[in-house]
Amino acid sequence: MENEPVTSTKPGGDERSPILSVRGISKRFGGVQALADVSLDLYPGEVHCLAGENGCGKSTLIKVISGAETPDSGKIVVDGVGHSQMNTTSAIESGIQVIYQDFSLFPSLTVAENIVLTSAVAVQKKFYSATAAAARARAIVDELQLDLDLDAEVGTLSVANKQLTAICRALVSDARVIFMDEPTTALTHTEVKRLFELVDKLRDRGVSMVFVSHKLSEILQVSQQVTIMRSGKVVTSGPVEEFDTRSIARHMTGRDIEDVRIVSDLPDEAPVQLEVEGLTLKGAYWDVNFNVKKGEIIGVTGLLGSGRTEIAESLFGLLTPDHGQVRVEGERVQLASIADSVSAGIGYVPEDRLTQGLFLEKSIADNIIAGSLNQHRSKWRTLDFRKVKATISRLFEELRIKAPNVKAPVRTLSGGNAQRVVLAKWLATNPKVLILNGPTVGVDVGSKEQILELLREQAGQGMAIIVISDDEPELVSCCHRVLVVTKGRITDELVGDDVSVERIQESMAA
Amino acid sequence: MSDSSFKDANNRLDSAVRGVIERAQANRSMLRMVLVFVAAFALFAFLNPRVFLGSLNLQNIMVASPEIGVIAIAMMLSMLTGGIDLSLVSIANLSAITMSTMFTAMVTGSGEFNEAMAVPVLLVGILVGVGCGLLNGVLIGIVGITPILATLGTMQILNGVAIVWTGGSTLYGAPATFTTFGKLAIGPVPMLFAVFIVAAILIAFLVNSTTLGRKIELQGANPVAARFSGIRSKAVLIGSYAVGGALGGLAGFLFLARNPTASADYGASYVLLVIVIAVLGGTNPNGGFASVAGVVIATLTLQVVSSGFTAMRLSSYQYAIAQGVILVAVMVIDAINWRKFRNKRPAPMAATGK
Amino acid sequence: MDIRKTLRKLQGRNNEGTLLLVLLAIVIGMSLLNPVFFTANTAFAVLRSATVPMILALSVLLVIISGGIDVSFPVVAIASAYTTVTILLATGTDVPMVVVFAIAAAIGAILGLVNGFVIAKFRLPTLIVTLGTQGVFFGAMLTYVGAKYFPELPPTMAALSTVNILDFTTAHGRANLHVLVLLAIVATLLVWAVLKWTMFGRSLYAIGDDYEGAHRAGFRVVRTQILTYVLVGVIASMAGVAHITMSRAANPQDLVGGELDIIAAVVLGGASIFGGRGSVGGTVLGVLLIQVINNSLLLVGVPSAWLRAAVGILLIVGVGIQAVSARRKAQRVHSVEDVMDLTVAQRKEA
Repeated sequence: MENEPVTSTKPGGDERSPILSVRGISKRFGGVQALADVSLDLYPGEVHCLAGENGCGKSTLIKVISGAETPDSGKIVVDGVGHSQMNTTSAIESGIQVIYQDFSLFPSLTVAENIVLTSAVAVQKKFYSATAAAARARAIVDELQLDLDLDAEVGTLSVANKQLTAICRALVSDARVIFMDEPTTALTHTEVKRLFELVDKLRDRGVSMVFVSHKLSEILQVSQQVTIMRSGKVVTSGPVEEFDTRSIARHMTGRDIEDVRIVSDLPDEAPVQLEVEGLTLKGAYWDVNFNVKKGEIIGVTGLLGSGRTEIAESLFGLLTPDHGQVRVEGERVQLASIADSVSAGIGYVPEDRLTQGLFLEKSIADNIIAGSLNQHRSKWRTLDFRKVKATISRLFEELRIKAPNVKAPVRTLSGGNAQRVVLAKWLATNPKVLILNGPTVGVDVGSKEQILELLREQAGQGMAIIVISDDEPELVSCCHRVLVVTKGRITDELVGDDVSVERIQESMAA
Repeated sequence: MSDSSFKDANNRLDSAVRGVIERAQANRSMLRMVLVFVAAFALFAFLNPRVFLGSLNLQNIMVASPEIGVIAIAMMLSMLTGGIDLSLVSIANLSAITMSTMFTAMVTGSGEFNEAMAVPVLLVGILVGVGCGLLNGVLIGIVGITPILATLGTMQILNGVAIVWTGGSTLYGAPATFTTFGKLAIGPVPMLFAVFIVAAILIAFLVNSTTLGRKIELQGANPVAARFSGIRSKAVLIGSYAVGGALGGLAGFLFLARNPTASADYGASYVLLVIVIAVLGGTNPNGGFASVAGVVIATLTLQVVSSGFTAMRLSSYQYAIAQGVILVAVMVIDAINWRKFRNKRPAPMAATGK
Repeated sequence: MDIRKTLRKLQGRNNEGTLLLVLLAIVIGMSLLNPVFFTANTAFAVLRSATVPMILALSVLLVIISGGIDVSFPVVAIASAYTTVTILLATGTDVPMVVVFAIAAAIGAILGLVNGFVIAKFRLPTLIVTLGTQGVFFGAMLTYVGAKYFPELPPTMAALSTVNILDFTTAHGRANLHVLVLLAIVATLLVWAVLKWTMFGRSLYAIGDDYEGAHRAGFRVVRTQILTYVLVGVIASMAGVAHITMSRAANPQDLVGGELDIIAAVVLGGASIFGGRGSVGGTVLGVLLIQVINNSLLLVGVPSAWLRAAVGILLIVGVGIQAVSARRKAQRVHSVEDVMDLTVAQRKEA
C-alpha cells in the first residue's frame, strides 16, 4: 500500500476539502468491467446519494471503499492521503463505516454490546467490561436523543431500532463517512421521518453520509449531492437541485421512461373471480371489501405498515383473519393455511424473493414445478415426468427466462430472471388469482417493463391479478383499478383516468 | 434464414453439452465415491488377493453392510429434509427387542406355528419403527423442536425404554425363519444384501419419482420457500421421519437375522458412523441434496476398507483412523473445489442479497 | 411494567430462572419424600458425580456458543489423560500433579488445534469434522499409545484420588467431598470470567450469532475459532485427568460414547444449538439437574435404567416448551406497526 499526500481537485469554487475522495477507480471481475474510472467526492455534513440500477456497480464501489474488494487501479484519498487500496481495518480506522441492508448486527447480544463491540475489536482490546460498554453506548444514544433500550437483545428489536443501533455502532467507531445501503426499504412512514431527522443531526456533527437507494422521491428529499451510476461508470454528478425524478430515472436507465399506461378494455360483464367481504384481522386491517374480475389487474397500495401486506398475506393463508369471507369464482373458501389457498387457486409472489420465493440452490426446473407437484401426479401418486417436462419447457420459453438451460441453479440468475422463475412457479399451478407483492423490487428497469407485460398477458388470458406496490408509476402502468389502504382500511378506489401517479400520491397522503 | 437455424442448432447443442456437464457436476460426489470404492477395492485386492478376494470375505462384506446401509439411508432421508436423526439406532434396537420378546412370549412347541408367526412379528417390528418415526416427526414438524435436539431426546428415551425392558442384558431368541433367512442366498448374493438393495431402490424411487420425495427435497433446500409454495411442511416432515423409522425397524430385523440376539446397546457406534456414510455418499447435511446410490456405495466402501484392513491384519482401531481420515479428506477436498468454483463465478445475485 | 422487567431479568436470558425453579422443586420434593435426600452425603455425592460432566460441559458450551457442535471432546479428554498416564507409567517417573495436568493439557491443545484448524481454515461443518477426528484420535490412541487397562496409577495421581476437602460422619454415614470438585469449580469460574470479561468471550457470541457478520465487522473469526477448539481440548483434558484420578484406574475406553449426554445437559441449560446463546450458569444448572435426577431416581427406588429416558423426556419437554412459546410469541398480533416487525421476525425464524 502506498501512502502519499495528494492535493485533491476541488469542484468549481468549493473551498471545503472532502473527507473522502475516490479517484479513477476501476475493477474487473472476469470479463465484466464492474467499475470503470469512477470518481467521487464526499464532504463533511453532506448527504450524498448514490443511485443506479441493480448491477450498476454501486455495491462494488462500496466494497472497494470499505476494503472488502481491491481495485485494479485508482486511488482512495482520505484526508489528503492517497491509498491504492483499503482493507477492512484501515477503512474503519479512517472513519469509513458501511451499514448493510441486513445491518450485520448480532441478534443474541444486547444493544449496548452491539454498539460497542466492533470498535473494541478494531483497537484489538483483550478485555471487555459491561459497565464501561454500557456507559459508552449510553453516551452516544443520549447524544442523538434516541429511545433505545440498551439492555434489550437486538433480536427482539424492530427493524427501525436495529437500524438505529447500527448507526450508533458506526458513530462509536468515530465514523466520519457512513454508507447506508437502501436504508428506508423496511421502514414505515413514521420511521423514515425519524431516520431523516437523525440524518440532520448527523450532518450537524459533520458526518458525511452516502445513501444508496433507488427510491427517487427519497433521494430528492434528503440529499445534497447526487451521483448516478450506470454499467460501472458515473454518468452524472451534481447538487440535488439540478435533478428531478424524471431526469434521475433517465440517467439510471439511459433512456426516457415514460409513464405509460397500457390496460386492456375490460368487458362490463366480466365475471368476478375473487370477492373479499368484511375481512377483518384485529390490529392489522378492518372490514376490507373488494373484488377482482376475470382478466382484471388491480393495484393495492398504501404506506408500509398500512395493512396492505397483511391483507395479501391473509388471502394467501399466512395470517388467519378474525372474520369475513373470501370467495373464488363464487365459491366460499377457507384459507387456514398456504396449502389451502394454493388449492383454492390463489398464488402469491412474495416481496422477499430470495428466501420466500426461490430455492436458490435448486435448478430452474425444480423451482418451476415446486408449487404444482400435486398437479403433475399420475394415478399412482408418482410424478408424471412427461407432464413435468412439458410444463417446464413451456414456461421456460413463455416467460423468456434467460439461462443456458433449465438445469441451471437459480442462484446464477439475475433479479429479473429470478422473478420470472417465481412467476413461472405460480403459472404452473394455473392460478385463478395471482397476488404479487412488490413484483419488480430489485429488478432492473429494463426487465421491469417486461414483467409488467407478462402480467398483462396473463390477465388477458383470464387471470385475476392483485399487484401490491408502492411504486406508483408501476401501478399506473398496468392496473385497471387501484385500492388505497390507510391504517388498515381501504380508503379510496381509483378507477379509469383517476389512476395516475398524482392521484395515488394525493390519496395516500390524505 | 439458414443463418438463424444454424444459430438455433448451435444453441441447442450448446445447451445439451452444458446439460451433460452440469449433470456430471451434480453427480460429482457420487462419481468420487465410485472412484474411492474402486480404488479401495483394487488396493486391497492387490495387497492381499488371496484373503480379500476370497468368497468368504466378499460374502462377509455383503452380509455386514445391510444393517448399517439401511440406517444410513434413513439418515440420508432425514438430512434431505434439512434435519438429522440421531434416534435411528435406538429405534432399530427397540424394534429388535420387541420382535425378540414377542417371539419368545409366543414360542410354542409347534414349529409350524413359529414359522407362521415370522411375518406378523416382522410387521410389528417395522410398525414399532414407524411409531418411533412418527413421534420424531410430530416433535419436529408440529411441536417445532430442532431435529438434532428432538432426536437426541427420543434417542435417550427409546434407549432408556430398551434398557429398562431388557434390564440391560442381551435377549436371545428370534423366529427360526429370521435366522434361516439370514443365511439364505440367491447365488452368490446373500438375502440380507438383497433386502438392502431392494430398500435402497424403493427409497430412491420415493425420492426421485414421487411427489412426496420432491417435497422432501424442496423442504430441505429452503423450508420457507417450501411453505410459500403451498407444500404442507408438517405432513412432509412427519412422512419422511416415519419412513426413516420404518427403515430403522427394518434394520432391527436385519440385526436379528444376522444373529438372534437383541440388546439395548447394540451398534452404539453406528449412530455417528451412519452420519459419516451419509455425508460421504454426497448428502448435503444442510438439506435438499442427496443420492441413495451414493449412500449405498459409501456403505460398501467403508465395509471394503474395514474388511480390507482385516485382511491386512490391521486392527479395528486402525480402521477407525482410516474412516476418520477418509471423511475429513473428502470434506476438505470438497471445500477447496468449492472455493475455486465460487471465485470464478461471482454470483450476480450477490447485489440483491446475501 | 417494572415488575415484568424484573421478572424477565429473574427468568434469565436463557431461562436459567425456570431451570433453577425446577431444580429447587425437585430438591424440595425429594427431601419431603425421603429425608435421606436432604443431607450432606447426597449433596457431596451429587457434586462428586457432577465433576467430570461439568468440566466436559464447559468445553461443549464454548463450542455451542460459537455456533458449532463437537462430538470429539470425550475422545480428546480420555486420549490426553490416558496418554499422560501411559507416559508416566512407562517411564516410571512421578511428577507433581501440576505437571500431570500440564502434559495432558498440551496433548489436549494439540488435538484441539487439529479440530480448529480443519474447521476454521476450510469452513467445514463442525459436527462432521469432529466425527472424523474423533475416529482418528481414538484409533490413534488405541493403536499407538495402547489399549491396556491400567489398574494402578502413578503415585501422585493415586494419592490425589483419596484426598477429600471435607470428610465427616453424619447420621447417614460418612460424607466426603472430593478435592477435584474444586477443579470443576475453578474451571467453571474461569470459563465464566472468560466469557464475560474478555473480548475473546464476547467474540465467541458474535461469531455464533452471525459468522459472516462477525467477519465483516472485523472480528478475527479464524483465529477465534481455532483458539476455541484449542481451549476445548485443554478443558477436556482436565476432565480426562479428573476422571482417571477419581476412578483410580486408566481405561482408554472410558468417557467415549457419552458425548450426546453432555451435549444434552448443555442444551438443557439453555444454550442454543444454533450458536450465540448459552451461559455458564445455565450449564451448571443443566449438569446439576441431571445428576440430581439420577440421585433421586435411585433414592425413590426407580431403577437407574430409567435415567436415560428421564433425561430424554426432560430435554424434549424443555426444548418443546421453548419451541412452542417462541411460535406463540411470533403469532400474536398487536397493532399495525407491530405486525410488520413480527412478520419480519417470524420470517427470520422460519
